[in-house]
Amino acid sequence: MNAIPQLFFDAMSLGGIYAMAALGIALIFGVMNLVNFAHGEYIAFCVFALIVPSTDAVAVMFIGKAPAILLIPMLLSIGALVAVASEFFVFRHMRNSTPVAMMISSFALGFVIQNTLLLVYSSRPKAVSLWPELNKPVSIVGASIPLLQIIVIVTTLIVVVALALLLKRTRIGLEMRAAAENFTMARLLGVRANVVITGAFALSGALAAAVALIMVTQTGVADVRMGGQIMLVAFIATVIGGLGSLPGAVAAGFLIGAASVILQGFLPLEARPFRDAFLYTLVIAVLLLKPDGLFAPRSSKPRV
Amino acid sequence: MSKLGVFDVAVRYGKVPALSDVSFTVEEGERLFISGPNGAGKSSLLKAICGAAPTSHGRIEVDGDVLNGRSPEAIARLGLTMVPEGREIFGTLSVEENLRVGTGIRRDKSAIETDIAEVYQSFPILGERRHSNAGALSGGQQQMLAIGRGLLTNPKLMLVDEPSLGLAPNIVDQVYETLVNLQKDRGLTLIIVEQSSARAARVGGRMVLLRGGKVVGDGDAAKFAESDLLNEAYFGQDNSKETA
Repeated sequence: MNAIPQLFFDAMSLGGIYAMAALGIALIFGVMNLVNFAHGEYIAFCVFALIVPSTDAVAVMFIGKAPAILLIPMLLSIGALVAVASEFFVFRHMRNSTPVAMMISSFALGFVIQNTLLLVYSSRPKAVSLWPELNKPVSIVGASIPLLQIIVIVTTLIVVVALALLLKRTRIGLEMRAAAENFTMARLLGVRANVVITGAFALSGALAAAVALIMVTQTGVADVRMGGQIMLVAFIATVIGGLGSLPGAVAAGFLIGAASVILQGFLPLEARPFRDAFLYTLVIAVLLLKPDGLFAPRSSKPRV
Repeated sequence: MSKLGVFDVAVRYGKVPALSDVSFTVEEGERLFISGPNGAGKSSLLKAICGAAPTSHGRIEVDGDVLNGRSPEAIARLGLTMVPEGREIFGTLSVEENLRVGTGIRRDKSAIETDIAEVYQSFPILGERRHSNAGALSGGQQQMLAIGRGLLTNPKLMLVDEPSLGLAPNIVDQVYETLVNLQKDRGLTLIIVEQSSARAARVGGRMVLLRGGKVVGDGDAAKFAESDLLNEAYFGQDNSKETA
């Protein structure tokens, strides 16, 4: 048995999902101080977009029938579209509201999306079989792990690198980083608020779609409530990472994934059902020691 | 034709009026100081011009284009740039990235690189540290960066809010020398908020004196230094009169 490599791959793949979800939240928080609690529902929406609308227990593939080369860009666009539409119809009208008012309206939007899904697909979780061959185990450094885990890890790395390149090397990336740090100043320099915010929502929605694809392949289930749990963890990751810090969100996502897998592996058997209690105790401890998060962006206060 | 016109402008924060009945015009290439005690409305006036604070009354024009109601990014496209109080540089971006943020609105893309090189020539320290985080610069260097960043939008009019704030006196001299030279080289119109009217008089130019959100004086900065209007503006005695 090779417990250590096994744990490593478990931790990396779980952390990767958390990191991508956390990135989606941090991107939007960065440019408009909005903690978008509808993000989990974007994920659920993307999962259900794969299947034919019906209330049956076994899902019939809709977009999910397309070959991967079409399916992936299609679903990423759907995610981006849902996020951009929610900005256009909801958050755009709340730009001058307090962060609390925006956050509450994001909850409201989440409920609207969730209940729409309930109406169309019913509350019964559905079996969805997307790319089942990816769950076949392969043998790497003596550990037997599902191919999907490797794909998740590689995907996360590609997403993080691509996002870093976009932010570092492109015009829109520069504007997004400037706007994330000081939105008013960026606008005074001619950065268009609408372009930057729409861009952030599109990226965030595409990330939600990526998470949706991974989750549905891994679990084989489409459940209207599936966004809630991951949204919670991802939100905690953005807080621990330092709200607004993108590298922080990624690092904290991996950290929580790792902590969760390690606790699962090393807690005494009778304590394992309470793993999440231990995990969130660690979260509280981190926040007590570092209230601004582990990787809070460096303050840009004027120096004398 | 005058470059900038401010007509009857009022700004209020909720029910609190910050500016009322403010009118003046600024000619192309002119240097105008806005002075007055704390709370006189100097920063509010600059914010109203660049679109960061909404006006509740009146009209602001640049070359016939009305600015009120436009977004800050639209106003920036008309050739106004702001060097705000406290610099507001992007501390997590590199020095060069700070300079590039404002270049997105320019049509003369080919001139951007030469302009950046020019800023590095004027401020060699910025060139040396072009790849380091701007947050690590000293206060004076950040002020130079903020000015350079504004210049890279290729402005016609530059608004500078309290450039001397929190800087050592010799650094302040340097900042003003830079601003005056820029104006000479580029024909830039400058509006500078400066609390020290003595400093404004030394640099030279026109001065608009604000007190309690109203214009209480408008004339040559050097003449203000001799008049007692300044004392009145700063210390009370409410019999405002105009100086030429």
